[in-house]
Amino acid sequence: MKAEAVRLPEELQAPALTAGLVTSGSLDDQVLKFPAKKPPLAWYVGFAITSSIMTLGLALIGYTIATGIGVWGNTNPVFWAFDIINFVFWVGIGHAGTLISAILFLFRKRWRNAIARFAEAMTIFAVMCAGIFPLIHVGRPWVAFWLFPYPNQRAVWPNFRSPLLWDVFAVSTYFSVSLLFWYLGLLPDIASMRDRATGKIRKAVYSVLCLGWRGANSHWNHFEKAYLLLAGLATGLVLSVHSVVSFDFAVSLVPGWHMTIFPPYFVTGAIFAGFAMVLMVLIVVRETMDMKNLITAYHLDVMSRVILAMSCLMGYAYLMEGFTAWYSMNPFLHSIFKNYFMGAYWWAGWLTLACNVFIPQLFWFKKCRQSYVWMIVIALAVTTGMWFERFVIIVVSLHHDFLPASWHLYKPTLVDYGILLGSFGLFFTMVLLFARVLPVIATTEMKGILPGAQPHVVKSEE
Amino acid sequence: MRAHLKRGMPRHWRSLEERTPTPDLRAEGWNEFAPGAAEPMAPPADVLSRRRFLGLVGATAALAATAACSKVDRGFIVPYTKRPVEVVPGVANYYASTFQEGRRAYSVLVKTREGRPIHITGNDEHPAFKGKTSPRAMADIMRLYDPDRLRGPRIDGRPALWSEADRLLVEALRSAKATGNGVLLLTGAVLSPTRRTLIADMKSALPGLEHAAWEPAAGDAELSAARAAFGGPALVKTKIGQAKVILSLGADFLGGDDPESVAAFAAWRRPRGPGEPMNRLWALEGAMTLTGAKADRRVPVKPSQAAPLAFALARALNERGVPLPAGVQASALPQGKSQGNPLSAEEWGALLNDLRGARGEALVVCGASMPPEAHVAAHLLNAMVGGTLAQARPAEPLASLRDLDGVVRRMASGGYEAVIFWGVNPVYAFPDADRLTAAMERAPLKVWMGVIEDETSARCRIVLPEHHWLEAWGDYGDGDGVVSLQQPTVGPLYDTRQGEEVVMGWLKGLGAVPSADYHAYIQTRWRKEVYPQGSPVSFERYFEAALHDGLVRTGSGIPAALAFNGTAVEVARGPSSAAFDQGFELLLAPGYAVYDGRYANIGWLQELPDPVTKNTWGNPLSLSVADAEALGLGDGDMVKIEAGKAAMEMPILVQPGQAEGVLVLALGYGRSAGSVAAGIGVNAFKFMDAGSSSPNVRTGVRIAKTGGRRDLPITQAHHRMEGRDIVRSYTLAGYAREAAEPRPAEDLVTLYDPQKFPLHKWGMVIDQSACVGCSGCVIACQSENNIAVVGAEQVVRGREMQWIRIDRYYEGDPRRPGTVHQPMLCQQCDDAPCENVCPVNATNHSPDGLNQMAYNRCVGTRYCGNNCPYKVRRFNFFEYTAFKKDPEALAYNPEVTVRPRGVMEKCTFCIQRIEDARMRARDENRPLRDGEIVTACQAACPADAIVFGDLKDPGSRVSLLSKSDRGYKVLAELGVRPAITYLANLTNPAAGEEQA
Repeated sequence: MKAEAVRLPEELQAPALTAGLVTSGSLDDQVLKFPAKKPPLAWYVGFAITSSIMTLGLALIGYTIATGIGVWGNTNPVFWAFDIINFVFWVGIGHAGTLISAILFLFRKRWRNAIARFAEAMTIFAVMCAGIFPLIHVGRPWVAFWLFPYPNQRAVWPNFRSPLLWDVFAVSTYFSVSLLFWYLGLLPDIASMRDRATGKIRKAVYSVLCLGWRGANSHWNHFEKAYLLLAGLATGLVLSVHSVVSFDFAVSLVPGWHMTIFPPYFVTGAIFAGFAMVLMVLIVVRETMDMKNLITAYHLDVMSRVILAMSCLMGYAYLMEGFTAWYSMNPFLHSIFKNYFMGAYWWAGWLTLACNVFIPQLFWFKKCRQSYVWMIVIALAVTTGMWFERFVIIVVSLHHDFLPASWHLYKPTLVDYGILLGSFGLFFTMVLLFARVLPVIATTEMKGILPGAQPHVVKSEE
Repeated sequence: MRAHLKRGMPRHWRSLEERTPTPDLRAEGWNEFAPGAAEPMAPPADVLSRRRFLGLVGATAALAATAACSKVDRGFIVPYTKRPVEVVPGVANYYASTFQEGRRAYSVLVKTREGRPIHITGNDEHPAFKGKTSPRAMADIMRLYDPDRLRGPRIDGRPALWSEADRLLVEALRSAKATGNGVLLLTGAVLSPTRRTLIADMKSALPGLEHAAWEPAAGDAELSAARAAFGGPALVKTKIGQAKVILSLGADFLGGDDPESVAAFAAWRRPRGPGEPMNRLWALEGAMTLTGAKADRRVPVKPSQAAPLAFALARALNERGVPLPAGVQASALPQGKSQGNPLSAEEWGALLNDLRGARGEALVVCGASMPPEAHVAAHLLNAMVGGTLAQARPAEPLASLRDLDGVVRRMASGGYEAVIFWGVNPVYAFPDADRLTAAMERAPLKVWMGVIEDETSARCRIVLPEHHWLEAWGDYGDGDGVVSLQQPTVGPLYDTRQGEEVVMGWLKGLGAVPSADYHAYIQTRWRKEVYPQGSPVSFERYFEAALHDGLVRTGSGIPAALAFNGTAVEVARGPSSAAFDQGFELLLAPGYAVYDGRYANIGWLQELPDPVTKNTWGNPLSLSVADAEALGLGDGDMVKIEAGKAAMEMPILVQPGQAEGVLVLALGYGRSAGSVAAGIGVNAFKFMDAGSSSPNVRTGVRIAKTGGRRDLPITQAHHRMEGRDIVRSYTLAGYAREAAEPRPAEDLVTLYDPQKFPLHKWGMVIDQSACVGCSGCVIACQSENNIAVVGAEQVVRGREMQWIRIDRYYEGDPRRPGTVHQPMLCQQCDDAPCENVCPVNATNHSPDGLNQMAYNRCVGTRYCGNNCPYKVRRFNFFEYTAFKKDPEALAYNPEVTVRPRGVMEKCTFCIQRIEDARMRARDENRPLRDGEIVTACQAACPADAIVFGDLKDPGSRVSLLSKSDRGYKVLAELGVRPAITYLANLTNPAAGEEQA
């Protein structure tokens, strides 16, 4: 019995998710070949640059720990500055990865399969970068473990009412789940690499890492179930982590922080910034690793659209924030909102608005969604804008709070800039390493969306 | 085994052990795990049992550990087998003593712990100071422990023995006596009658001795005007507490170093209702002072214009029927070169009305830095309307700058065989230091005696270290019937001597035979001159009682008031020089914290924000708002000012309220000696005109922008309240109405149960109407709570550590702003926003209402600091204390933890004092009394603006005051329930004016 031939109109047909002829074999050859190959010179140059920057950052962190937080620009009343800005920024960057790999997985968005692996790796690295900051920003990092609720003879527990404690739980949960999810997804691919590996050491390493994956039916059975469960778990975390991070601000009474809109607004911002970062990195991966047939123009187009949508949501959030401030009749809030755009840091307010709301509107134009230059310009703008958004929220709100007598300008120091730069160094060093030693595209998932891989889709000629 | 086999027992066995019954452990009770089983009482001596083995191992480990306790902490531990008299470890001892600064002697109480002074407050026995003292007196404890202190005599820059120094000096003095050559002794003001006697003794032993007492920052005009007005050196004793109307001509009597005046003034500023009396303060001044900031009406007036204005006032009063004092003709009143009246017609009328209406109860005070004719005018006005409120009393003469100029000339001509500087620093403070140092080269022997080496000691051959006053004896007469005593509160820390005893050594060398030591010398004089002859109390008891109280009220020796001499008015016509209206006028006033530079090495004072400018660590040039606009200058811009030969570059500070055309520069900065003092600010003494009768006011000063910029270490960068309800200010007339205005609700809905306070609930009331902003509380708190000094760069970054700060806000026109002060410290909120955000519970609530900090638990997330709406939490951005060694560390209060880096800290309502009083009450088995607990800020507040106590006790002073109709809580609308009630500021503007 033959299935009835269904021919969808062209506009309703799913777009091709790969370009050209991609077979399972060619896919493996294309993606899994990297560990066996010597990296090109550009990789070495890149690695030298990022790892030097990372080393600089680590040295400055060491200097901070040896000397004191005073080497930063933080002051009274701006007790938090680059430290927490960077933390929120990096946690946000991580969100795109989880959204792509988990939420889009649950929604069966099959275009995600090509980019999920890389995005998820970026999540891990971003959360690693983020995790540094809460640790080093405390005055006495050597007792930072007191934030964890561990049983102790003194019977002293952390304060469960403090949003910082919620942060500890939220971020550590997020990191562990993301890591597990990522690693689980990697297993079949690592096994493939083990099978392909020729070097002794490489073989041994991949053998250990793939945890004995043999591709048995039972393995696949368990794998799919676990993957689905973890995706479900991670989905919740996408929403919860940045909500909890936003509680650091929303739960306090600082004017400009004390806002109920913060949780959704932060989550949106996180996805926004994360997508911009993923977009930028994927453009580079696509070009340098010769993956144009797997990460297609369609992928870039979809991501640009997501960024556009998020930008509109950000604009809405800003508007609502302003409206709430105005409607609150709270003179402190009025003053701080005026300050965002007319105070000493007016440029930061306008930069945020321009980068996050105005510039991404260019993605309405198809030309911008197809041009590397425009995509990179806009993604860079979004990344900058989102960093400055946190600057506005944290520094600008703090520097003008309730009593005008305690107002004080904040000036970052070279150490602040150095550590911020160092975190980028760490992030890209990890990205570069990842690109060489692990499959940057989930080959097993890709195989599921190759033409002809889905038997129930009838591509009938009759 | 074989034996058993041989016996051939017919038994089945399953193993050899079963077959062979020996040794049967069970049978012999060797089951080591049987209940109650132990090894046999006496195991064989040659067997090392398990238990014994373990015992030996344990003992070895214990001994090894003991032996390994290295020599590091093997000090000498000497128990108090013989406890020193009065010293109980852990219990503070208080000694009454006296501290002298310039022409003031403060009777103080010194708190000592285990024999070392740690805190200074006013002596509550003193009738004038009533337990209050100046911030500088409190901070001078740091000089005692200053690491820069001299630790032994030095000759030619190398350490020497006292005997050597004595020999050299006595030889020089003997030769001077033989040759009849002059010997110069330059000292600060001599307020001590015994020291005066000693110097007189010295003079009679060495006729060539020339003694000059010089106070560089005292202002010469006051004495020269007094000479003209009263015929001799005199000081005016004012009774501010009885004045209904006070007119200040550039006087800063509320400047904190005069706690008596602050207390007397503030007592009139807290009426309990509109019907109650309140004084009225008018201030006509060029600089913005604390007095002007507190004034009900303040008019910016150039210093040179004060005299013409005051004489015009006298004329106008005379025209309105107030008689001139005897001997003064209306026609003789100087016309002056008035530049138009800076007061509006309405103000002028109101001022005249006030002064006329309060005749006999009005007081005119003139600032020490003002020109002499302004002083004469003030004396004249007092003679007209002041009644007995201002009494001129003969005073010890001081050498003026002109006199000193003569001395330098004589020195340059080789007129002195030896020059002795005792506690003075002329190389720093004499305007023409080059001429002085050149002249010093002509003196064969230069001797310096003091506590910390300075610019002058560097140019002296013999450098003698003197006791700090806390190590020394002394006595002071205030000319008001009270003689106060100074006694050592600690043994000498170094190889130093009491200055007077050094002089006595010279006396001995010259053949005179004084007492054995200065203590005996004082007693000898006291026995003769102070002790009431024929008293039934023995002298020893009398002196001991005086030592205990720190003073005796002799009630005698109060000189009669001098009468105003009308011809002074004629004198005042002279010096109003034509140059007065060209260029800028530069007013040189003593630095608020460092005075004449003697405190420049004390970090606490360098970091004490000037109460008006809020600047620390240095002396920027204050410029009026209008002049700054005209010159295109802003805070921190560098300028060069020139006056005569002197020219210097410095940053400026735009000062609201300062008179146009006036520049103000603080004295006492720009030191070149002292590890703290050197290089901070510029030396304003260089601008003094040694030839002028009013050296503190320089005219014809030119100012030019140089282009650079420097960040000023200012602790408050924003000066307006931005319409926020922070400091409430009412007028006396309208305050019932103003206080009733609707305000945001204070009690917000909360989901949490209210805090419960079973026994006490500590609270505070701060009366902003009484507070003058003097900042005594800041220093007292710093001393009590071991608060770190962070330095200028850190203050620029906003990281000063003081737990209590005085917020100062300007309102209205920046040219003539209204000013309010608000002491801001931890509000100990019931629903403290800092507490619930701390992730480690380092800050939490005590059952008696304190928001407490467990420093050891703090990890330093600083979230509490962000969430504190009052921003009173201070973070240790660096390690400020760990490297502190003795002697600096000796100044610490042992009751208060020293905080390491990375830890948040803040005001605790002096919890150590609360606990001290509570334990005392428990020991005595009684409830705590109201007023028994006094916080350090409260104890220091000369205005009595701070009241602390138990809010649960309905009868306590703090409870009653907190219900005042002026009471409100700052930022109450946030729902944090602060424990501090502020009482609104009150002003008493003349009828018809409404001024904030």
